[in-house]
Amino acid sequence: MQRNKILLVEDNDDDIELTLHAFRISHITNEVVVVKSGESALDYLKYRERFAHREVDDPPALILLDLKLPGIDGLEVLRQVREDPATKLIPIAILTTSDDEADIVRGYDLGVNSYIRKPVGFSAFANVVEQLGLYWLVMNTPPPSRPVAGPKDSL
Amino acid sequence: MQLRNGDEAEADISAALTDSDTKAHSDDNNSSEQERTSPVAKAFHSGIGLRMLLFVILFSFGTTLILTILQLYFDYRRDAHAIEERLNEIGHSNLDVIATSLWSIDDTQLRTILSGLLRLPDIQALEVTEEIEHASTLVILAGEKQKHPAISRDYPIIYTMNGLTQRIGTLHVEATLDNVYRRLIDTAIVIMTNQAIRIFLVALFILFLFYRLVARHLTAISESLGQYKGPDSPFALSLPRRPPKYPDELDSMVDAFNGMGTRLRQAYGELKEANRRMVADIAARHLAEQEVIRLNAVLENRVRQRTIELEAANEELAAFAYSVSHDLRAPLRRIEGFGQILAKEYVNTLDEHGRHYVTRMCAGAEDMAEMIDSFLKLSRSTSGALFVEHLDLSAMAAEIIARLQEKSPDRQVTVTVEAGLTVDGDRRLFGGVLQNLLENAWKYTRKTENPIISFGAVRKGEQSCFFVRDNGTGFDMAYAKRLFAPFVRLHRPEDFEGTGIGLTTVQRVIVRHGGRVWAEAEAGAGATFYFTCWDDGGTGAEK
Repeated sequence: MQRNKILLVEDNDDDIELTLHAFRISHITNEVVVVKSGESALDYLKYRERFAHREVDDPPALILLDLKLPGIDGLEVLRQVREDPATKLIPIAILTTSDDEADIVRGYDLGVNSYIRKPVGFSAFANVVEQLGLYWLVMNTPPPSRPVAGPKDSL
Repeated sequence: MQLRNGDEAEADISAALTDSDTKAHSDDNNSSEQERTSPVAKAFHSGIGLRMLLFVILFSFGTTLILTILQLYFDYRRDAHAIEERLNEIGHSNLDVIATSLWSIDDTQLRTILSGLLRLPDIQALEVTEEIEHASTLVILAGEKQKHPAISRDYPIIYTMNGLTQRIGTLHVEATLDNVYRRLIDTAIVIMTNQAIRIFLVALFILFLFYRLVARHLTAISESLGQYKGPDSPFALSLPRRPPKYPDELDSMVDAFNGMGTRLRQAYGELKEANRRMVADIAARHLAEQEVIRLNAVLENRVRQRTIELEAANEELAAFAYSVSHDLRAPLRRIEGFGQILAKEYVNTLDEHGRHYVTRMCAGAEDMAEMIDSFLKLSRSTSGALFVEHLDLSAMAAEIIARLQEKSPDRQVTVTVEAGLTVDGDRRLFGGVLQNLLENAWKYTRKTENPIISFGAVRKGEQSCFFVRDNGTGFDMAYAKRLFAPFVRLHRPEDFEGTGIGLTTVQRVIVRHGGRVWAEAEAGAGATFYFTCWDDGGTGAEK
């Protein structure tokens, strides 16, 4: 299965719309899965709850993670994703308005691949999104789909 | 001889005086004099009394001796003269009878006459010697002739017959001084004895008087003074006697002592009072000190508490500013983002006015975003710990200038950065300071021909300070004080953009590094910003 989905974790509808718009005008055509909370993000990644019936073994190619989320916050989502052997290799970019040093350090500490501060100007933001897509979805070689490929699983 | 006499006299006197003085003393009188010394006996045994007695006796003895010798001398002369007279009398008054008797060779008659004369006092021997050439010499002797008589006289015996004077013999008379000497010795003994007794009695009396009048009072005074226990106890000296009609030396001495006692008591009283005052003063001072210490502790406590409160409030404020900035940024992004979309993708559906409004909206949102960013920077520059390290300011300034040049490559600015300027400070915050100051210089020289920007260090009085100088727009020094206040701008935003937060941030950072920042400028002629670090001398490394 071709891994080309982008998981956008963002709680604000306006921001979702703007981000999607930015993807659109940047000609990034990958499917974007939007979840509005940390719990949903984890459910999606672990095929639980309402995502229990979705296609198995379909991890996203990139997770765009906001830090300020209702319930489980972005850093906690990051921690749990990195903890789980099944998901720990998925590239994650934090996309947030915060430029707090503590957040940045904590993010990298938990193993984030990229930390991007959303610029206020939309054109700058669109530019950032385009760069992101280009880098992570085109230029970057993704990790193998079975990160913990043992003899039992490999066919 | 005299001393021994004195000793005896002394013993007698002391016995007598102690007898008359007190019954108790007389009881002890039989025992040894050495073992027991009554004040009176003491007065005689030692001290002035004894010496006085000695001197009086010596002097009296001397004068008595001289006077006695004089007296004896005069007595001797008188007696000797009387003997001479007597001899002359014998020679003159008896010679005629003797001559007649001798002429008639009346032997018996002559013997009778001579015997009669011999009975006169002091006459020792009489001898008549006949002196006729042709006859045998007749010698008649009365008394005994001495070999060396004390006084002797020879008188010629002259007989006158029929007008013819003729020497017929010699009368030899001898007198003795033995009686005179005996008398003189007797006289001397009488005088000496007399004088000795008198001297002794007078001396005794003087001694007694001296004791009565002086010595016992002196003893009493010395005892009183000896028992004097200090200015605290009452001191009144008095003499154990009936006061004389007119005050004497002892009275004036007692008065003097009493006066001294009074003055001593006064002085002591004053001293005590002063002492008391001093003690009270010290106590008061001690109390005051305690109070000061207590107040200090209270104050320190309060300051500590306030500091904690203030720190908490600061933290809270910083957190608040931070969160507000973030929360404000998010909706701002949306406004701007949708505005952009409107402006770009709906350009045909909007009319001229619509497009203009959308542009203004986006510009406003951008300004606000910038302000929020500055606000965040300011908030961060005043909170959080300082990470002090050795900074190469020259390198940092050069880097910033390079970035500025990169951003506007078309500008031609002459920049000089003095090499080797270093300071101990927080890299991030000092970077902000240099960024702000150099950016300002860069910005305000935009409309200047041949712009010059320099960064360096200069000595101002005692202190060395850094400066950033430009020859740009400058400002009126009247506004210099407001320069560092937050959100204050000296230029219209149409001329020079900015948020009015930059210099406030600079000032806060410099103050946190123990320094000062100030500006010198002239409208139209450029500005120079000076700053110092660690004015108190410390490097702040421990902060």
